[in-house]
Parts: sequence; structure tokens; C-alpha cells
Amino acid sequence: MSVHTRIEGLGARAIAASHAGARLFVIGAKSLRGVFDRDYPKGEVARQMYVVGNKSLLFIAITMGFLGMVMVIQSGHQLNRVTGDLSQLGPQFLKLFIQEFAPTITALMLSTRVGAGIAAEVGSMKVTEQIDALRLSGITPTSYLIAPRLLACLSMGSILTVIAIVIAFTAGGISAWSVFGLNPTAFFDSSMVRTYDIVIGSVKALSYSLAIPIISGFCGLEARGGSEGVGTATTSAVIGSSFAVLLLDFMISGIGLMVFGGGV
Amino acid sequence: MSQVTDTRTAISVQDVSVAFDGTEVLRSLSLSLEQGGRLGILGPAAGGKSVLLKLLVGLVAPDAGRVHILGTDISRGKEKTLMRVRRDVGMLFQNYALFDFMTVGENVAFPLARLGETEDDEIADRVSARLKAVGLAGSEAKMPSELSGGMKKRVGIARATIARPALLLYDEPTAGLDPVTTSKMYELIAADQADTGCTVVAVSSDVGALMNFSTELALVHEGSVRYRGPSHAISKSEDALVRQFVSGDDAGPL
Amino acid sequence: MLGDVTISAIGRGTLFAWRELGGITILAGQVLRALLPPRLDGPELFRNLYRMGNRSLPIIALTAFFVGGIMVIQAGVLVKQLNAAGLVGWGAGYAIFREVGPMLIALMFSGRVGSNNTAELATMTVTEQLDGLRALAIDPIPYLVVPRVIAMTVSLLCLVVLGNLIALYGGAFFAMFLLDLEFSTLYYSLVDNIGWLDFVHGAIKAAVFGSAIAMTSCYFGISVRGGAVGVGKAVNAAVVAAAISIVTLDFLLTAVLP
Repeated sequence: MSVHTRIEGLGARAIAASHAGARLFVIGAKSLRGVFDRDYPKGEVARQMYVVGNKSLLFIAITMGFLGMVMVIQSGHQLNRVTGDLSQLGPQFLKLFIQEFAPTITALMLSTRVGAGIAAEVGSMKVTEQIDALRLSGITPTSYLIAPRLLACLSMGSILTVIAIVIAFTAGGISAWSVFGLNPTAFFDSSMVRTYDIVIGSVKALSYSLAIPIISGFCGLEARGGSEGVGTATTSAVIGSSFAVLLLDFMISGIGLMVFGGGV
Repeated sequence: MSQVTDTRTAISVQDVSVAFDGTEVLRSLSLSLEQGGRLGILGPAAGGKSVLLKLLVGLVAPDAGRVHILGTDISRGKEKTLMRVRRDVGMLFQNYALFDFMTVGENVAFPLARLGETEDDEIADRVSARLKAVGLAGSEAKMPSELSGGMKKRVGIARATIARPALLLYDEPTAGLDPVTTSKMYELIAADQADTGCTVVAVSSDVGALMNFSTELALVHEGSVRYRGPSHAISKSEDALVRQFVSGDDAGPL
Repeated sequence: MLGDVTISAIGRGTLFAWRELGGITILAGQVLRALLPPRLDGPELFRNLYRMGNRSLPIIALTAFFVGGIMVIQAGVLVKQLNAAGLVGWGAGYAIFREVGPMLIALMFSGRVGSNNTAELATMTVTEQLDGLRALAIDPIPYLVVPRVIAMTVSLLCLVVLGNLIALYGGAFFAMFLLDLEFSTLYYSLVDNIGWLDFVHGAIKAAVFGSAIAMTSCYFGISVRGGAVGVGKAVNAAVVAAAISIVTLDFLLTAVLP
């Protein structure tokens, strides 16, 4: 392939990517408007909340439990090596989980579980022309399908993040006690948590819960060509929302550090 | 919106071009149909038939040209205009497109319930009447996944016709059905048309059945119309391609 | 009543999990047996390596770059608290090499390569292509599964090694940009405190995660039932199982490895 055609290929891909970005933006805006239009079936938000919570609760409990233990063991070993003072382990752990790990890892798990589910559902409706049939009945698919999922993710995302903090903190405390013999009263100490940490953690959890259903719904609506198209939509939803979560994490943490000095 | 008595144009497509990812699917295609007409669209696979049908309800927007449906210009793709026109259009999709999260009854009731002009009791009556008409009386509570392909198609017809639209579009109403069911399906469509006086457009690759059903035919090949006229005259067309497609010969331009 | 329902649901879930775990173990045994004596289909392995490793490189590189940034921001907050700029390289490097690098890259790899692999094998299974192979006296395990397992293990190992480097560079970039730290401060903080052991710790984790993703994604691919809907369910189950395997194995390896 000559350099010229390579550059042309890159250019064409960049144009296609920017078009897709524009469509994603439109779908995001329409879905948000759909939240206020309330043009979705009765009880749909509650049903979706059940789906999100039911699908992810055990999954998040297991992953956050193990993650809490691993983090405590790794950082405990390092602290032992350097200072030998483990009194700050629990408070710092809680601070870090509230503003970083709990929202982000929970959102990564939601991208896998819920994002894939939304893309598969909407994608198969797309390839079987059910989306066209909806539009024929005067329905905007973003209001009817994505808006209720958005509301469900927003509410359940926050609840699951809180559950994640509780589980990881408990598991971390137990392993600090059993591995390093650390007194639970020294570990379960919330004195280091500032309002800043809670605000940053909440902003992250809310932005992730907005990004996941919008990106996954977009991938579903873009699906083309039979069950293979649904498969492609599902994988792109998982990768797209996971990457969006990390990017948002970086941006929100960065803004927090630049503007508010990291809350210190 | 039901009884159409005048003879205004139901469909008018002028010089329409549509391209997907740089591939032209329709090439300055023109086609028109009087209200109350019964048009069959046939042609080789991937010739643009289904796209043409979706163009008529604004599910596909034209890149160039004009589309007028029931006297309204929908080529600009404005949501409000589309929503108004779609109230008067019913469509049977190629793969039925039944909502798999709703029961059969809810599926059939859906277009009527969305219009919000009918009482719940009356909707229920009309749903059971429609299901009876398509030979599926009493299957309101079933889920679409419990039905066979032919049954799903009949539910699709019931859903497309329940709001008594002025224009009905059928995409492959008989694909995959045996000959007896095929003729029953067309009888059903014809009976419905006789009842409401609506305009009917059907796309099919089943040449024989479609020729029997339609009063007028259009043959679409590579994005443009190769034949447009009465059904009985198509086999005497001057176009060798049209004659070959209709007769099914091996030899010829196709 | 509700209690009974919950308990029976948990019981069913547990039974189900054990059955899947057993199935994955049996498949792992079959893969190991097929590797003794080692006989590899070179071109097939290379094709898989290219497909799985090369194609996921851009997304992994981007992920790693931003993960480096995230780690530095978190370390930077601690640094401001304790006023110890000399710890940023160490903190970020330690976290990236041992924990965050392997785990996040593995999660992305599972989403991209693992789910694709499940979808592909599951489609082959429901369209009876695996039976077709058996009818030709070809055992699908050495023919289809073994090259994928090796390819995924090797690709994830390489991607994590490369991704860790990119994450460090990303971290250094953002540390200079956001925290006004000198490159030399970061560099010495890293090389003085981080040893080969930390690198090997992460590399072993990467290889184990890679084979875990491969085993789960192949298992759910070839044990799929029930048409196109089954394929979707298999992909979902595979990604979830991979994520759970990654965190549990991470815990075990952290406890076992130095």
C-alpha cells in the first residue's frame, strides 16, 4: 500500500469517526430530552432498575470484595516496608475508594454487564426492524428505549457504588486484621474523608451512569446486518463504555486536582 | 382517514437518489400511484425494493429528489411532518418486527393505543376483531416467540391494519410461506383493501403470486424502475430484462 | 416465602457456578493434554496472535496512557498531603506494575478479544461447524481452542508489558504537566524503589489473566446452546466469568507471589 493511499485511508477513518461522534452526541442529547418527555411505557424505569441491580449486585459484590482485600494487602506490605505505620491504612483506603476505585470499578463492571445487555437488546430490535416499527408508530427510539435505561442506570449506579464502598471497606478491614493484625477500630476510621472526596466520587458515579447507557444504546441503534451485527454492537458497547469510564475518570480527577487542588 | 373516494395521488416519488456508505441504492427513481391503487413492486434481490418502501414512510431519507405521501412532502425528513404522515400509514416489515417484549394483543393494539384517540374497551374489541380476521382469534395473550413464521406475519398484518391507515405497505408478505398460505395472505390483504379503500403497495420476490394480486406492477432493478404499468402487460414488455425476470428464463441480460 | 425463594435462587446460582467452574477445569485439562507433546499449528497460532494482539493494541495503548495519568493524579493528592514529591514515581509505578496495569488491561482485553472469541466460537457451535469438524475426525480442542489459548496468553502478556511502559510514560507526561514535577525526580523515584520483582509480579499476573480469559471465553463459546439468543447469552456469561476470574486470581496471586 502506498503512503498516499494509507494517508487517504486514515483520513477516511478520521472522517467516519467524527461522523460517529456527532451521531453519538445527537443520541445522547435526544436521550436526555427523552427523560423529560417521559414517553416510555409505565413501570419501565422500575423494570430496568431491577434488571440493572439484579444483574450486577452479586457480580459487583464479588469483584469489590476481592479488590478491597488485594488493595489492603498490597499497600500494607509497602507501608510496612517504608514506614511500618499502618494507622493511616484504613482512612486512606476509604478516601481512595470513595473518590476513585468504588465508582470506577463499579462502572467498569456495569459496562460489562449492563452496557452489553443494553446493546444486545436495542441491537436486536434494530436488526429485526422493531426500531423502524416503533418509529412508524410515531415513537422516538431514544425516548422510548434509552431514556428509561438512563434513569435506571443513574439511580442504580449510585446505589451500587455505595454498596461497593461498604463491601470493599469491610473486606479490606477484615484482611488488614487477619494479615497484619491491625485493630478494626484503627481501620474503620472515616476521619480522612472530606466533602471533596464525596463530591468527586458522586460526580464520577453520575457521569459514568450517564455515559454507559448512552454509548451502549448508541451502539445498539447503529447495529446492522443480522445476529453478527448484534454481536459487534455488544462488543463495541463494552469497549466503548469501559474506555469512556476511564477517560471520564481521568478528566474528572484532573479537573479536581487542577481546580480544587485535590481537596487538600 | 379511512374511506378514500377521490383519486388524488397517494404516492409521488420524483428523481429520488439514495446512497449508503457511498453505494447508490436508488438512482433518480420516479414512481407514482393513485389513491386506492394496488401496486406490486418486484425485481431481483438487493435491487432497492425494500429501501424504496422505507423511503415512502421516511425511515430512509432521500439524498436528492422529492417524495410526496398522501399530499405531504416528506423529503425534508422533518420529524413533525413524518410523525403526522405516519399516522396514516401502516407497514408490514420483512421480518414482521413484532415487539418481542409485548404480547400478541399488545403488539396489535400498539398503533391504535399510540394515537390515543380510542377508548381501551374499543381497542380490545378491535384487536380481537383484527386477530379473528387474520385467523388467529383468541391468541392475544401469547408472546411472539411462541408463534410460527406465518403466524407472526399474520399478526404483523393485523398490527399494520388496525388503525385503518390510508396507505398500507407490505414488505415481502409471503416470503417463506407455502403456496396455499401465500394465496390466503393475499386474499386477506385484498379483503382489507376492499373494506377500507386504502392504497396498497406490496414488495415481493414471488413473481407469480404478486402478479395475480396487483393491478399494477413496477419492476425495480439496480435502483431504477424498468417497468411500470398494468400487471397483465408486463410479460409483453419491450425490455428484454423485464421479460426474462418475469418468465424466469436462464438466458437473457440478467 | 421470600426467604425460601432467595435461598433457592442462591442455591441454584451456586450449583450453576460450580458446574461452569467444573466445565472450565475440564477444558483446561483437555488443553494441557493437547499440548503434551507440544504440536502447534504455526500459521493458525500466528493468525490468532495477529488478530488478538495487534488489533487490540490501539485501545490498550490509549487505556494505559490515561491509566498512567489517573494513577499520577491519585499519587499527586497524597504527595500534596504529605509533601513528598519523591514518592510519585514509586507510588504510581508500584500500583501500575503490580495491580492496576495488569487488571485494567486484562479487563479491556476481555471486553475486546475475549467476547469476540466467544461470539465466534459460539456461532461456529450453533451453526454445527464444530460437529462438522468432528465428522472429519478433527478434534476441535487442539484445532480451535489450543491456538486461541496460547495466542491470548501471549498477547495479553505482551500487551501488559507494553501497556505498563505506556502507562509510565503517560504518568510521567501528566506528572510534569499537572503536578509540575521534574522528569528526573520521577525517574529516580521509580528506579530506586521499583525492582524486577514488581515487574515479574505483574507479568505473571498478565499471563495468568490471559489464560483465564482464554479458558472462560472458549468454554462459553463451545458449550453454547440455543441459536442466536444463546450466542448473546454466552458472550455475556463469558465476559462476566472472565472479570470474576481476574479479580479472584488477582487476590490469590497477590497472596502467593513475592
